[in-house]
Amino acid sequence: MRIIPFILYLFLITFHVAILGDLTAILGIKFNMFVLMVTLVALYKGDGEAIWFGFFAGLVFGSQRLDLMPWEIVIATLTAIVVKEISTRINFESIASRVIIIGSCVLLHDILIILLISAREFFFLFTRYVLPGVVYTVILGWLFFMIKDGRITWQRVKALF
Amino acid sequence: MAWLSTVFYRNRRYFSLGLILVLVLIISLSAGHVRPFLGNLSLTIFYYPFTELRDTVTRLQNVADDNRRLNNALTEASLQLNAMAEARRENQRLREFLGFDPPEGFQPLPVKILTLLYHEYPVAAVINKGTGDSIEVNQPVINRFGLVGKVREVMSEFATVQLLTDPASAVSARIAESRQIGIVRYVPGTGMIIDNLPADAELSVGNIVISSGLGGVYPSGLSVGLVDSVQTRKGEIKKNVWLRPSVNFLEIDELYVLRSGLR
Repeated sequence: MRIIPFILYLFLITFHVAILGDLTAILGIKFNMFVLMVTLVALYKGDGEAIWFGFFAGLVFGSQRLDLMPWEIVIATLTAIVVKEISTRINFESIASRVIIIGSCVLLHDILIILLISAREFFFLFTRYVLPGVVYTVILGWLFFMIKDGRITWQRVKALF
Repeated sequence: MAWLSTVFYRNRRYFSLGLILVLVLIISLSAGHVRPFLGNLSLTIFYYPFTELRDTVTRLQNVADDNRRLNNALTEASLQLNAMAEARRENQRLREFLGFDPPEGFQPLPVKILTLLYHEYPVAAVINKGTGDSIEVNQPVINRFGLVGKVREVMSEFATVQLLTDPASAVSARIAESRQIGIVRYVPGTGMIIDNLPADAELSVGNIVISSGLGGVYPSGLSVGLVDSVQTRKGEIKKNVWLRPSVNFLEIDELYVLRSGLR
């Protein structure tokens, strides 16, 4: 029964790929749900769970392009390991540190994938899609942490109006 | 076995990493078999429900778009159908009129009614032809059923027709059977009557009333109506005769102005 939440996380990633990504895209820029989920699982779950979730998330996400599947698995697994290692050494209470981790992971993932897909158009893709996508993902991550830490609550939102 | 379990538990992270490394190597090295299998399995389990949902929504959106487009097309087709039906009715009326032989020396000019002027009943009609089409004052106006009235005013592109139902209108008419002559007028509240018939005039209900040709406005022989009822009071010198007009003035549409001296 412990794996059911992780399967739901995988479904969340594929839901974003199939439907949510297009609906939430702003001028063609999408947030990176895949890396976001891997990072969040690494931040909040145990060591083995994070590593295996990274492996399966990479496998599921990589099934869209079979040539990139091993790379996605390696990147996601390494992301999970690195984030897990870092999370034990940083001030975990700080939202900024968690947001920086997410931003860095998304940035590194997207840079590596661009280099693998089309290195010649690196600068165009980097400026047009990667950087705005990182900002978009970081904003959503920040909102998630604010809600999870109880800094944004329904009562506070209601009080604004 | 206990020490093996302890070793595995203490180094489970490295075992996991080792196992993952082996799996990644297998996936990398067997691009033709394992990778497509895993890809298909993943697509079937994790992507298929959402892609199917997305495709269904897209299909429904297309159906909705088609429905909207077809509704518009149906409305346009319906309008065209109505226009064609009206054109067919007009064509039918014109064909009926083709059999009509206008009085000698007159040529009918088809005109359309732009508006009808009412005073409890239609009393005048504005038509779409004027002096530019040789329309002149006092030219008779008919339709396929009979006499309608005469041109009262003419402008460059319009003209006003005084209908027989105008109380100020009067037509010299005769009973077709007995040749008795009288004046046809419309009396509000009473209806169309033929006046000035002597008490001993020979006529009966159903007799045809036509224009007499006297007075110089209307040519003779145009149908005005049928005798609807006759009343003779003792001591009076005139008969009271009510007519049923040949033309239903509430339903007039195409009219014809009879122009004289044109070929």
